Amino acid sequence: MLVHVSNPTTLVRLSRSLSLVHTSRALNDDPRWPGWDVVVGIEVHAQIKSRHKLFSECGQGSLTSDYSVPPNTRVSPYDAAFPGTLPRLNPRCVELGVRTAIALNASVQRRSSFDRKHYFYADLPAGYQITQHYAPFATDGRLTLSKEDVHVRIKQLQLEQDTGKSTFDPRNRVSEIDLNRAGTGLMEIVSEPDMRSPEEAADYVRTLQALLRSVGSSDGNMEQGSLRCDVNVSVNRQGAPLGTRCEIKNLNSVKFMMIAIVSEVHRHIDLLEQGLAVPQETRGFNEDRAETYSLRSKEDAPDYRYMPDPNLPPLLLNEAYVTEICQSMPELPQAARARLLALGLSRRDVDVLMDIDSGREITFDGQRSGGALAYFDQVAQRRDPRLVVNWITHELLGQLASRRETFSENSISVEQMGGLIDLLHNKKITGTSGKSLMRHILATRTTTMPSTLAQELSLLASPADDSNLEAWCAEAIAALPEEADAARRGNANVVNKIVGRVMKASRGTANAQSVKAMLLKLLH
Amino acid sequence: MLRNARHGCSHLRHLGSTRRHASQISHLSGSSLKELNTSVNALVYIASDGFPVTGGLPLSGFSVAVKDNICTSSMPTTCSSAMLLDFISPFDATVVKLLQDGGAYISGKTNCDEFGMGSLNMYSVHGPVINPYQPPDSSVSWTDRERRSAGGSSGGSAAAVAVGMCDAALATDTGGSIRLPASYCGVVGLKPSYGLVSRWGVVSYADSLDCVGVMARTVRDVRKTYNVLSVYDTKDPTAARPATRLRAAEERDKHQEYSLDSPLSGLRIGVPQEYFPSDMDSHIVQPVRRVLETLRARGASIVPVSLPSTRYALSAYYVISSAEASSNLARYDGIEYGTYIDPPPGTDKTKTAKVYAHSRSAGFGKEVQKRILLGTYALTADAFDNYFLQAQRVRKLICADFDRVFCVPNVLNSTSQSNPDFTGVHVLLHPSAIRTAPRLPSSTDADHDLGAYVQDVLTVPASLAGLPAISVPAGHGMDAWPVGISIVGQWGCDEMVMDVAEICERYNTT
Repeated sequence: MLVHVSNPTTLVRLSRSLSLVHTSRALNDDPRWPGWDVVVGIEVHAQIKSRHKLFSECGQGSLTSDYSVPPNTRVSPYDAAFPGTLPRLNPRCVELGVRTAIALNASVQRRSSFDRKHYFYADLPAGYQITQHYAPFATDGRLTLSKEDVHVRIKQLQLEQDTGKSTFDPRNRVSEIDLNRAGTGLMEIVSEPDMRSPEEAADYVRTLQALLRSVGSSDGNMEQGSLRCDVNVSVNRQGAPLGTRCEIKNLNSVKFMMIAIVSEVHRHIDLLEQGLAVPQETRGFNEDRAETYSLRSKEDAPDYRYMPDPNLPPLLLNEAYVTEICQSMPELPQAARARLLALGLSRRDVDVLMDIDSGREITFDGQRSGGALAYFDQVAQRRDPRLVVNWITHELLGQLASRRETFSENSISVEQMGGLIDLLHNKKITGTSGKSLMRHILATRTTTMPSTLAQELSLLASPADDSNLEAWCAEAIAALPEEADAARRGNANVVNKIVGRVMKASRGTANAQSVKAMLLKLLH
Repeated sequence: MLRNARHGCSHLRHLGSTRRHASQISHLSGSSLKELNTSVNALVYIASDGFPVTGGLPLSGFSVAVKDNICTSSMPTTCSSAMLLDFISPFDATVVKLLQDGGAYISGKTNCDEFGMGSLNMYSVHGPVINPYQPPDSSVSWTDRERRSAGGSSGGSAAAVAVGMCDAALATDTGGSIRLPASYCGVVGLKPSYGLVSRWGVVSYADSLDCVGVMARTVRDVRKTYNVLSVYDTKDPTAARPATRLRAAEERDKHQEYSLDSPLSGLRIGVPQEYFPSDMDSHIVQPVRRVLETLRARGASIVPVSLPSTRYALSAYYVISSAEASSNLARYDGIEYGTYIDPPPGTDKTKTAKVYAHSRSAGFGKEVQKRILLGTYALTADAFDNYFLQAQRVRKLICADFDRVFCVPNVLNSTSQSNPDFTGVHVLLHPSAIRTAPRLPSSTDADHDLGAYVQDVLTVPASLAGLPAISVPAGHGMDAWPVGISIVGQWGCDEMVMDVAEICERYNTT
């Protein structure tokens, strides 16, 4: 007991001071606002991809941001703040938090602690949210944007509870509360004000999304609300000190975030040009009018009465624990990209491959699910990676799409896909046959190996000297006398039409080159 | 004894000196229980199912009443609050489940101060508990006895045990809520070391202080029940882990160099000088002195000790407990469960708090409201340092005071080392209360002032330090009402504390 009584000296409120490091970056005059500097910092709330909530064992099975889950069906007595319930920290959430911190080059704190943030709201059943106000989970990280010379410093990462959802039904004038989301684990990732434009802000969010997905710590889906952004914007005249920041709350798409920043920048410039001060405010964003509006001023900021949570002992993470997670980290997007390019894949193929299912290689609680990248890696072992990537990104994805299936529904095993590639590579089947074979496996969900199937379905390529070939060709010439005449007169295009007829007759097993050769031999 | 002849109620013969017939009394039928309860108001719910015939388990044939702030799925859990008047928990507290698994019969729910806040068991939506005790020389019938408080907040548990409605009762102690009513009602009450008994299913008042404990008529029955409850529960994040329990037991065994039989050679009992405040009734000191003299005569060493930070304990306790209470009670808004009062037409509903205010004003009693307001203030940004953090610092000083006087080191504190040259005391002994049970104020009495809080001086230090403390009867005051003494030990020394309590109990009865 008493371990939970925090050392008072550690309870120093973390100041959110604006650092001046950004001034070292070259200033580019933005044609939208010449003479002005824009400074952006972002707080991201990302739902932790665990089957259970942060402090309760509520079976989720799906993310609580999933709209298809009926309201109030993923709620334990703890989530509804029933008397007598107590929190129990979900170790999977901690592990995913550590993974994220490592991926962000942040230092995982050996000791962090949980605090209660109090306010009354209908979607907050306990009257407080458990967060990490005084001693956050990880600090001092860095994220490199796709524009490689831009690094955004990560101030801190903290674990906290999500709230429920309240929606107002204006017709019946009632608020509807759904507690499915209440208590779900969140990571709050706070950047330093290191972004200089709406585009850099968008780049930051997209890069972060890809990183969270690659380590499996969050689905990072803004539309569904598993990733939400609060954006701090300030504007100053070039060379002048930083301006006063305003926070825009709850932006739920990258597009709206950019629009909100642009609108906010213009609002600040308008005020400053009139010689007025920008008041420090928290603002909302009206998507229809594409402008921000005041929610509350600094003076109206609520007193959250932070208190160390007396039920939760400090979270102590030893070196060995962090090292172990470090060693079993999934491959980060930048490393994966570099590795694939080194295999000889084209930039475009890498992009497509890494974008399948938005790069989600990991399901709940950090378990590897064998996403598209893992699938590629396994099939490409001892095979030509370019052939493999072609068949995955073009043919397999195309066929899945026409079946209205996602990659996770792909029924072709690694072994089957490997066998198919081998048949193609060894010219045992033609490309056309390969496609038919793939279609067949997807339709029947058979587990039989492609070599056996090719035999059963008579899809094996016809050897070039096969007597069938001559018979098919003779038959085609007889069936298309006009085309045959034209071909004899030297019309090369018409030959292809006759080739097509032969291919059809052979059900794709004939080799098109051999057919053409045989036809020309027979015609001349 | 004297009274049964007068009002012809046979089971009441056990009042006053109950020990002999204790086991018979607890098997009272439901209707006799109800009749008895009319005059005591100890039980707020009486189980309707029959006493189970089970055997072979540690608590077979044992009936236990449960304080109404401990969750039961088959009975209401009101916390004596209008806020939870119709509330039935969807689950059983771990302690309730352990009792049932141990063969005990849960006989009902006991009255208490609202959410455990109070020292007199007056602040209850079910009405006050009337102390069942009556001095032997009283001339009026038992039902017309003097209306004195049973103590709080676990007054119902103490009274139910004292009057024989059950063999033992579960209670909770945040700042003295077990030990004080035990003292006033003349029963035994144990507040175990913090973290040894699970709090899952115990409605939080102040999480860092709340302990579940046991009340019974003998130390033996308390121990029997405690042994069933003192197990690690993964559902309680503040539960002491098995390794910590083991380490505490090892440290305790190293220092158990005394004999429990006469002579008590080697047993060192500390008497803290700060625990005899000027407000203490002189007739409390006499029985305590008698106990100490008896112990010394049997070979124990009585050592005067000082716990200098004690004088700050009360303020620190009220800041911490109120701050935590304001946070823990924020959940009662009438939305998910509990009492909901519709705001009257025309209410400003722009802020959620303005809607909740109606339910919370109607649902909470005045003492609870007072503490929520105090705690809310202590946590505001401007007051946090001076109140909440200062109280936490004082709490550390209190802990350090205790660690300095005990010979057993505190296994929760890495800096507390076993010093072979140091002969600290095994336990501390002091009065449980500054007086015998006070008269219940009639409705015309003025509001209680700070007097009700001053009592807590003797009990809150052990709560702040999370130490085991037990109150045992130690004779009677000049008004012939029961006096209790408290024995306090190092964290994890619950067995030692009960051992010494048993010695005191033995000499008190002989």
